[in-house]
Amino acid sequence: MGALAIKNVTKRFGDTHILKGIDIHVDSGEFLILVGPSGCGKSTLMNIIAGLESPTSGEVHIADRVVNDVAPKDRDIAMVFQSYALYPTMNVRQNIAFGLETRGVPKREQEEIIARVAKMLQMDHLLDRKPGQLSGGQRQRVAMGRALARNPKLFLFDEPLSNLDAKLRVEMRTEIKQLHHRLKTTIVYVTHDQIEAMTLGDKIAVMKDGIIQQFGSPQQIYDAPANLFVAGFIGSPSMNFIPAHLASEGGAIGVSLQSGEAACFVPLPDSQRFARYVGKRVIVGIRPEQWDVANDGGGLDCKVDLTEPTGPDTIVFTQINGIEVQARLHPRDARAPGSVLHLRPDMGKVVLFDTETEIRIG
Amino acid sequence: MSVTSRPAHYGFAEHWLPRLVLAPSFLLVLVFLYGFIAWNGALSFTASRLLPNYEWVGLAQYEALFASERWWVAVHNLFIFGVLFIGGAMVVGIVLAILLDQKIRLEGALRTIYLYPLALSFIVTGTAWGWMLNPGLGLEKLMHDWGYAGFSFDWLVNPDRSIYTIVIAGIWQSSGFVMALFLAGLRGIDDSIIKAAQIDGASLPRIYWRIILPAMRPVFFSTLMILAHIAIKSFDLVMALTGGGPGFSSDLPATFMYQMAFTRGQMGLGAASAMMMLVTVSAVVVPYLYSELRRSRHV
Ligand SMILES: Nc1ncnc2c1ncn2[C@@H]1O[C@H](COP(=O)(O)OP(=O)(O)OP(=O)(O)O)[C@@H](O)[C@H]1O
Ligand SMILES: [Mg+2]
Repeated sequence: MGALAIKNVTKRFGDTHILKGIDIHVDSGEFLILVGPSGCGKSTLMNIIAGLESPTSGEVHIADRVVNDVAPKDRDIAMVFQSYALYPTMNVRQNIAFGLETRGVPKREQEEIIARVAKMLQMDHLLDRKPGQLSGGQRQRVAMGRALARNPKLFLFDEPLSNLDAKLRVEMRTEIKQLHHRLKTTIVYVTHDQIEAMTLGDKIAVMKDGIIQQFGSPQQIYDAPANLFVAGFIGSPSMNFIPAHLASEGGAIGVSLQSGEAACFVPLPDSQRFARYVGKRVIVGIRPEQWDVANDGGGLDCKVDLTEPTGPDTIVFTQINGIEVQARLHPRDARAPGSVLHLRPDMGKVVLFDTETEIRIG
Repeated sequence: MSVTSRPAHYGFAEHWLPRLVLAPSFLLVLVFLYGFIAWNGALSFTASRLLPNYEWVGLAQYEALFASERWWVAVHNLFIFGVLFIGGAMVVGIVLAILLDQKIRLEGALRTIYLYPLALSFIVTGTAWGWMLNPGLGLEKLMHDWGYAGFSFDWLVNPDRSIYTIVIAGIWQSSGFVMALFLAGLRGIDDSIIKAAQIDGASLPRIYWRIILPAMRPVFFSTLMILAHIAIKSFDLVMALTGGGPGFSSDLPATFMYQMAFTRGQMGLGAASAMMMLVTVSAVVVPYLYSELRRSRHV
């Protein structure tokens, strides 16, 4: 059953097109991530789903019902805002009760719900405090509690963790994931943090300039990014984009890589799909962890410019085809700056992009 | 040598310059405000009439004041005026602010229109409203000219109603100011709070009543303070609109004090009434200042 479907939704503010034809389909119980750079229209899309803004054209379906003309309160949704949006003069208990009260839930039932939510989020001791007396993490919890007090068909989370410090963010991320496992309610979650996107989502929609660049599972998006933007946006450190010539050598199609004096020809597997591009320039996308050290002497001899040990891995910086390239290596394999490493890309995972359209080839 | 003496020189300037700069105004405030308050206090215990004298009479002026019917009319009027003026300006101002907060077009123009009365002095307001409310010149005559011969609006010349004309003119002048204060406060409310309340199912009036206006508490109290102190000091509006009349039916303590001290040669009595006003203002302002100062020290 479809929990949420967005069909060709556009939004204009005056002359500026913010959303240019968004199509999304989420099944019941799925966790959808909307990710994209600041100002790409994520919050606008959330507001349209919630009914706080109306789309210029297109349809929004919630639980297989068109809701374009349904008021926010009747859409059976709950939303957590980036700024938490707690009611400043009410204490935590009243904040949670407010929505129940407006919906005419009897007093006794309200108290049961508040007790249940407080227990679930471990905030019993906070119930009588005002928002001003809470820390950022506690406020976030209350905002969450307010959403959980009802049993909506759809949760909307607009960057709920972006105001927290790094450690708390990781903790809350895990908590949200566990919560989703327990409740199995459909969630739409906005973030511009690609790690949050990868770790939480069942589906990810990568947005830019009001257009969905790619919509798929985290693994699809990571392994087969639709274009240069998605490839660069997802993954950290980000994918290396190496300009190269696609050439045919001895019946194999491949690219030539060059580093300083050294050069090598790397054949691509299953290479017939690239036949059209032979003789043209392409962009080779190789993720940092897709480099290996070839101890048998093969691969490309690269001079190490810089190393960044992160603990489990060491990031090695070098130059290939005139571009700075990062390789994530086991610390055992890394060499000090100035020395030479034999680097070999995992060609099975490499992706190619058209130089002009920036779309993935093959 | 000069290097070592420099810090001392800076120390001297830093130490004395602020004091020197502040000294003249401090002196002026000391003499003309607190000095004259003290002098007025002293006069209220003397038998001063047309000119100050220092014939000590104890509390006789206060006894005369409390026995004066005219004083009690003024006090009673202040009560009516204070309650209606503060309440009216507050309600009109808040309603205007809420309406303006709905992101309407022409907001800039409307705000100017509502704020404009504030730029007028109370004398102009009083005079203009005096013309409008004058039965022979203003509204009543207009209605008669249009053919509504039965229309009558004589509050300005009706001793039982004259104080209400002052209330009307006062509200007209001050509600724009209240609106500006509340509009600034309303603009400070995070948009997403309203969105959250909408999703929670609250209607717009309920959102304002339960969430937004309670958050305006500090604005509310500041405005209340300012309006209260305008009400107690009100003088020019009364002088321009009714002159305290008909008779002394629209006297306020400030006009009473002026009449006694400067036109009827009862300076001692005027001084005593001024002291009563001072006490009233202090009763309003001091607790407020106290709570404000205490809060800022805590923060
Ligand atoms: N009411 C409005 N009128 C005009 N433009 C608007 C309005 N609301 C948003 N915009 C514009 O729409 C664009 C998208 O805004 P939106 O808030 O959806 O971005 P976002 O993707 O949520 O960004 P962020 O990650 O910073 O929250 C922005 O360029 C913004 O300036
Ligand atoms: Mg946003």
